[in-house]
Amino acid sequence: MGNVIVVSQRPSDAGELVGLARSIGDPVIVAFQDSAERVEELLSYGCRVYRVKSSRPEVLARATSTLYNELKPKLIVGPNTRNVKDAMAWVAGLHDIHMAPDVAGVRVEPDGIIYKRGFLSERVVMTVKAPYPAIILVNPRVAEPAPRGGVGELIELNVGDTMVRVLEVKAKELSGVNLEAAEIIVGVGRGFKAKEDLSMAFELAKLLGGQVGGTRPIAADLKWLPEDAWIGISGKRVAPKLYIAIGVSGAPQHMSGVSGSKVIVAVNKDKSAPIFKQADYGVVADLYKFIPVLIDVLKRRRGST
Amino acid sequence: MVCRLGNIVVLVKASLNPEVVRQNPDGTFDIDYTPLKISDVDRNALEEAARLRQVFGGKVYSVTVLTWGPLRAREKDLRLAVQEALAKVADEAFVVADESIIPGDYTVTANVIAAVIKKMGLNPSLILAGEVSIDESTYQIPGRVATKLGLPYVGYVKRIREVRGDRLVVERDLEDYIEVLEVPLPAVLSVTQEVNEPRPPTLIQIRMASRKPIHMLTLKDLGLDVKRQRSILDMRVVTVSRKQVLIEEASMEKAALKLVEHLEKEGVLRF
Repeated sequence: MGNVIVVSQRPSDAGELVGLARSIGDPVIVAFQDSAERVEELLSYGCRVYRVKSSRPEVLARATSTLYNELKPKLIVGPNTRNVKDAMAWVAGLHDIHMAPDVAGVRVEPDGIIYKRGFLSERVVMTVKAPYPAIILVNPRVAEPAPRGGVGELIELNVGDTMVRVLEVKAKELSGVNLEAAEIIVGVGRGFKAKEDLSMAFELAKLLGGQVGGTRPIAADLKWLPEDAWIGISGKRVAPKLYIAIGVSGAPQHMSGVSGSKVIVAVNKDKSAPIFKQADYGVVADLYKFIPVLIDVLKRRRGST
Repeated sequence: MVCRLGNIVVLVKASLNPEVVRQNPDGTFDIDYTPLKISDVDRNALEEAARLRQVFGGKVYSVTVLTWGPLRAREKDLRLAVQEALAKVADEAFVVADESIIPGDYTVTANVIAAVIKKMGLNPSLILAGEVSIDESTYQIPGRVATKLGLPYVGYVKRIREVRGDRLVVERDLEDYIEVLEVPLPAVLSVTQEVNEPRPPTLIQIRMASRKPIHMLTLKDLGLDVKRQRSILDMRVVTVSRKQVLIEEASMEKAALKLVEHLEKEGVLRF
């Protein structure tokens, strides 16, 4: 056994990360949120919790690096948020150790860790072995959450100032929708000609009890949807029971984000669109003609039962 | 006011092309026959270098490390990626192609890039890179390079707002918020695709590029000895087992009814 540093950004990520860390060694947690509730939750995993003042990557990196020198951990585990990815790249570089984000499966061996991760927009799965110490950032649901009810110890960790100065912090406009947990998702792409037209997608989603997400051009470039509704390689990875892609061409950067869906439906007027090869059911139709009719059919079905 | 801030280095990767994934008969990934192309976000880094070069006033260098073999078969793809950097903005290109660092290893790649920058005397005031590569997508090389050079690092830059003396004011796009930061130069920045709209090089630029120097380097030239950490045990193509049932009906009503029937059978719709 050895020490494992668990880096936590959100209340929801700590349980599984501590669970994974326990299967490898003795966890300590580095966290950076200040609410009393949050600290209480972290302490209930029964390990030491190092609290840092800020979620900025530089601060997190320095704190983790300081602990790395002190604890000589076998492994650092964390979630795949931008802040943590950025901070861990710095820690990995500083200590010349292996690091992998977006890890989808882990096996612990005496002389190293074996992990699986998607590669080439999830079209290939790579299995890698890396020696200890290493950093792996794991996807949700890779490990079982650790039990709570323990008594931990809280330590404040202060790190020095960084060379980068913050002039301003702006909150992002977010929808607050948790696409990762949605069972049905309506995905919208460039086939929609105007922002107002997305109302069709929202109506369909509402009728099905689902949520709306979008491709990079829709969410990140045109900003017709909030950024947390962006599905794809730099956005969210989702795994609904039903994904209905409307006016989506099927670029690998988007499709990698929906590869875990049970059933994929595509609606596109271009019969040669790559999405039809990656869908279970493809409707070759103009979305502006088809979606209103589909909504109508669903309403009638609902009314008749 | 004309500033003279110095040289810019742009990191450019020849990535495996995710749109042309080749497969061996046994289902493993056929890496040797999957072509390379310039990693998409690197185009944004090159465009940003073109925008900033007037202000910086120095030279622009591109640095590329070949991470996928077989070395001999990669010559053409590698050249295409590097020539795009030269056509777009770079004055000179530095390429490290060496059998001993194939396949790539993140620790090794970062050390090699840092060695090129130091040993070749590139003396950058700014190092620009794409936030992520289209093949490995690990978001880590720019941050690692910064630690090797002892420079400040800012990732996920969605906008470079202004040059303020010997500092840059940038916007960093983090998980839940955006920060406006002042970064002292020299520094390493990774940019996102939001930072600009890359324009392809013009015909004249492409023609001019053929006259610009490409410096081919090996680890021996850099006096480097590296130790790889990663062993790739397996690479397997994910087989898409989607049903691919096409519904083509002149009547939208018929198409909708058919789709609903299929989805009910799948058990994903409930009324």
